[in-house]
Amino acid sequence: MTAPIVLLGVGALVAFAIRKRVMIAGPFTVAALLAAVVFVASLDVGTTTDFLGLQFRLSPLAQLAAAVLLLSILALVLVVWIDEPAYNFFPTALAAGAAVLAILTLVSPIAIYGALILALLVPVGSFTFQVHRNRSYEAAFRHFSFVVLGGCLGLSALALSGSLPRDQPPATFVLLLAIIVVAFALKLAAIPFHTHAALLAMEVPATALALYFGVLVPATFIAFAEILTLSGLLPAIIQIAKVQDLLLALGALSALGGAFLATGSTELRRVVAYSVIANLGQALIGIATLSGAGIVGAIAITLVTGAGATQQLLAAGALERRSGPDQPSATAAPLAALAFVIGGFAMIGAPPLVAFPGHFFVELIAFSYSGALGTALVLSTLGILIAQLRAAIAIFRVAPDHWRVESRPVAGVVGTLLFLALLLGGMQPDGFLRPIAAFADEFIRALRPL
Amino acid sequence: MLMLGLVAVGTLAANGAARLRFAALAFFGVALAAQLIAGPATSVWQATLSATAALVCAAILFIAARDGRYGEEPGWRLWVATIVAAGTTAAAFAFLRTTSGEDVHLTPLGEDPSGLIRQAAAFWLLSSGVAILLTARGAVRGSLGALLMLTGTQILVLLVPGPQLALALMLAWLQVVVALAGAFLILNERALRET
Repeated sequence: MTAPIVLLGVGALVAFAIRKRVMIAGPFTVAALLAAVVFVASLDVGTTTDFLGLQFRLSPLAQLAAAVLLLSILALVLVVWIDEPAYNFFPTALAAGAAVLAILTLVSPIAIYGALILALLVPVGSFTFQVHRNRSYEAAFRHFSFVVLGGCLGLSALALSGSLPRDQPPATFVLLLAIIVVAFALKLAAIPFHTHAALLAMEVPATALALYFGVLVPATFIAFAEILTLSGLLPAIIQIAKVQDLLLALGALSALGGAFLATGSTELRRVVAYSVIANLGQALIGIATLSGAGIVGAIAITLVTGAGATQQLLAAGALERRSGPDQPSATAAPLAALAFVIGGFAMIGAPPLVAFPGHFFVELIAFSYSGALGTALVLSTLGILIAQLRAAIAIFRVAPDHWRVESRPVAGVVGTLLFLALLLGGMQPDGFLRPIAAFADEFIRALRPL
Repeated sequence: MLMLGLVAVGTLAANGAARLRFAALAFFGVALAAQLIAGPATSVWQATLSATAALVCAAILFIAARDGRYGEEPGWRLWVATIVAAGTTAAAFAFLRTTSGEDVHLTPLGEDPSGLIRQAAAFWLLSSGVAILLTARGAVRGSLGALLMLTGTQILVLLVPGPQLALALMLAWLQVVVALAGAFLILNERALRET
């Protein structure tokens, strides 16, 4: 089980050494990622291994999420290699892939948390870009500060909760759990902790942004759910309703705030970033309901939103590059424009895409929890829909004289393939939802231990 | 107790340093004292690993400074960070200290079976790191705050039962990655300042 992690880790070091030879580093990175995906897919579910006493386990969710997230990284690497050469990206992508795989397969909550901080810090090198002409340094520094702050506080709280005797006053556990929740909110860019993400959305290269919103943010959410399950803290959440209320409040604020900010955004990247934040808010509510349907919906929303964000951010980057100083327009890159628009279907959870069941489950369970919560989620989805429609209208405001596919249409092709994959998933949702349901089962068992 | 004093003094020295290279040296001192606080609770391999990581981090910051004068003047931030750190440490200790009710024996040098000194050092480092990071203007003090927080976290992780060597290895890597990311940001910040 450690072999693909080692492969990607060593690959990152090799890619760093050869990074300036883009025509070698690109195919090398693609090959390493493909090998890791094949390796993970070929392993039997439930395979375990030990390294220095640390246990790794390939759960059904780990196998599914690893395939989705590593293939998303692969799509990003293809775009960087063929269309947008940025030599720092190749080692970053492989190192992030190794860390994501570690997050998904580790069994110790503290080790998962450590791997998560590593994964979130790795892209700092690919965030800074033309520092004399933009604020990418400031964006990278702010991201660094948020990750370290949230990471160290959360890891410390987790370590303390693991070392303190269980006869502590409830206030101690409330405080520790609140710190862990806020630490994750910082890393997930949940509202009101989203300022670094807003700056990142404006200033960093589109592919680095897609790595963050499309791969690392979903990995962070899954890590949160795994840590709650494995740390033994879930029964405390049931006993202390305040923590559940905090999760619900953060989720509702992010869902509504993200959708509201998305509707007011005129830039494509911001529309995508805020749509992701709104969807993660919905997913947080799904987790906070502590129900099987809510957990299945939350994880499904997270994975599909990551794929949608990757698709839309790659398309937005291609549109920006081809439109130059003008507003991004379909006349410059029709296929990328089409990829952006159809990516919006995944963001709003429209049927028949596989994005639909996740949104449906969470909204259904939210309504059964309280009418106000369910209404908030419907309003959030409506806000995302309006934002995506506005962005689509802005891209297609000028009709091209003749439709001609842009040169090197990698972002458009990748976007179309991702859309087809989501469509196929929607027709066979069982294959996608069953591994998530297996995780939800573990979560519920951890909630009420015998 | 003596090591706790060294951690406190070292943190103040790092916090007050106007030059990055002094801050890097002070951080190395803090990290070594933090390792010594753990004493016999850690294996030789673990201690060597953590000390090596601290040395590598200090060396990375030392090299990133590129000359002896480069740094960030702390000014009023030194006092704000110190006062906030002291207050937060006391509050954290009051709220989060174990309530198992065992007898506590403190000696100037020697073992810390109750873990009281380790927890105090960890809370102090975490509070100082948060205060430095939140008041930092740029990557110089930001990196220092991040490394101090991580050192405090390392002490707390040592208190958790589990595969300690693997966790020490992971935290050592994490420290080096934080230092590398910090150094990368410091170089970019300098490039911006000098144009």
